[in-house]
Amino acid sequence: MKFDVIVVGAGPAGSAAAYTAAKNGYKVLMIERASEPGAKNVSGARIRDSVISKVFETKDLPFERIVKNSRLIFKTKETETQITVKPKEKLYIISRLKFDKWLAKNAENAGALLITKTTVTGIEGNKVITERGAVEGDKIILAEGANALLSMSLGLRRELKPDETVLGVREIYSSTRDEVAKRFNLQGDEGEIWEIVTDHPIPSAGFIYTYKDAVVIGIGSSVDELIKNKLKPYELLDVFKEPYLELVKGFSLREYSAKIIPEQGFPKFKPCKGNVYVAGDALGLVDPLTFDGIGPAVISGSLAGKADSCESYYKSLYEAKEIVKVVRSRPLVHELLKGENLGFYVHLITDFISSWIKGDFSELRYYKSSLGKMIKHLALGLGMIG
Amino acid sequence: MRAMRIEERLYTLRYKRDEKPHLEIKDQGTCKKCYEEYGSPCIIACPANVYSFSNDGRMIVAYENCVECGTCKIVCPFNNIIWRFPRYGLGMAIRY
Repeated sequence: MKFDVIVVGAGPAGSAAAYTAAKNGYKVLMIERASEPGAKNVSGARIRDSVISKVFETKDLPFERIVKNSRLIFKTKETETQITVKPKEKLYIISRLKFDKWLAKNAENAGALLITKTTVTGIEGNKVITERGAVEGDKIILAEGANALLSMSLGLRRELKPDETVLGVREIYSSTRDEVAKRFNLQGDEGEIWEIVTDHPIPSAGFIYTYKDAVVIGIGSSVDELIKNKLKPYELLDVFKEPYLELVKGFSLREYSAKIIPEQGFPKFKPCKGNVYVAGDALGLVDPLTFDGIGPAVISGSLAGKADSCESYYKSLYEAKEIVKVVRSRPLVHELLKGENLGFYVHLITDFISSWIKGDFSELRYYKSSLGKMIKHLALGLGMIG
Repeated sequence: MRAMRIEERLYTLRYKRDEKPHLEIKDQGTCKKCYEEYGSPCIIACPANVYSFSNDGRMIVAYENCVECGTCKIVCPFNNIIWRFPRYGLGMAIRY
C-alpha cells in the first residue's frame, strides 16, 4: 500500500503533521506504537491556547484545568522565595492521554488513517518497516519522541550523553474534584502550577500541578548529577516531595512515570534529509528547564506536514516564533543547568529577597565576584551572545 | 507518609508483557567490568529498578517493569544495552 505521507508517532507533533497534511488533501497514514495515542506519552502539562489554536480548533480541547496562578519557587535547604504570577494568557493544564487522543481524533477527522499497536523498526528509502510489514510513503515524518531510534539510525542526530540529558520522574495522586479545589483554593475550572527550582539535594527543577481530581508531583534533574551523587531518580523525588506531602495526604497514588528531555536539539539535530522530516521531541524541541514542549511539537509537526522540501522546512522552522524561542534559549539553559550555576541563582534570589526584607543588602557583596558570570548569562538571555 | 517501594509505584501502571524482551545485555562480562570501573550507572539511573546483579554476578534485566524512558541506553558507558521499543502496543501504558 502506498501513501503520500507517513507519520511515525501519534503525539502532538505527529498528529499536527498528519492533520495538516490530510487537510491539504494528501493521503496520510499515522503509525503509533502504543495501544492508543497518548498511552506512552509523559510530559508536563501546560499548553498555551494561543499556540495550539494556530493549528487546531481548540473549542472542544479536553483540558483538566485552566491556570489561575503560576508559582515560581526558589528553594535552598534553609529557605525559599516564591513569586506568584497570574498568567496574562490562557494556559491549559492537560493530561496527555486525553489530549493526545483528541489531537489524533482531529487528524483522523481530517482524513488521516491511524494505526496503533505498531512499532516502526526501520526506514529504507520510501519504505517504512514495522513488525507487521512495510508501507510506502512519498514523504515520511518522524515524530517518534525523545528516544528517536529512527532519526538516529538515519544519522539525523546522535545519541545523547548523560550530561546533556534531563530525567524527569513524576507521581499522580488522585482524590475528588472538590478535595483538589479545597487544598489549592480553586474555584470551578481554575488550576495551579508550581515550578520549584532547588539545589537540594542536587540541582533540579520540580513541579506540582493540579488535574481535575488529582495532583501531579515530579522533578527533573541532569542524569549526570544523579549518577555522580549515586541518587536514584525516585529517591530524589522522595526528598523533594517530603515538604509537600500535606497537599496529597489521603490521596491515592495512581501513576508513576518517567521521561528524558534532551538538552540538545535543532539545529544540531537535523530536521530533514531527502524525503524524511523530523518534528517535536525527536528534534529536541522541549525546554529542559521549563519542560515546555507541546507547543513547539504542534508547530514543528504542522510545518513538517506542510513542507514540500527540506529547504522550505528549515526556513519555516527558523520563521516560527515558538521554535526560535527554544533554540535561542538553549545556550542560557545549558549554562543554568550546570549544577553550580543553578545553585548560584537559587541562592542569589533567596538572599536578595531576604536582604530586602531585613533592609540590609550588605550580605549581597559576596556576589560581586560573580558579576562577570551574571553578565554573561544576562547577555545569553538577551540573545546578545551564544 | 512512609517511603513507598518502587514496586508499589510501578504497580500503578498498566503493563502488557511482550514475551520477547525489548531490552537485552550484549555481553555479561562488560557489565562486570562496568561495575568495577563506573559503578553500573544503569542500576543508579533507571527509575524502575530494571537492572540488578544476581547472586552469581549476572546482570538481570527485569524488562517487564520498564517505563520506556530510555535513560539506561544513554548512561551505559559501553553501549552494552540493546534498547528497542516493545512490539504490538505491549509494554507500559499510563492512565492520565
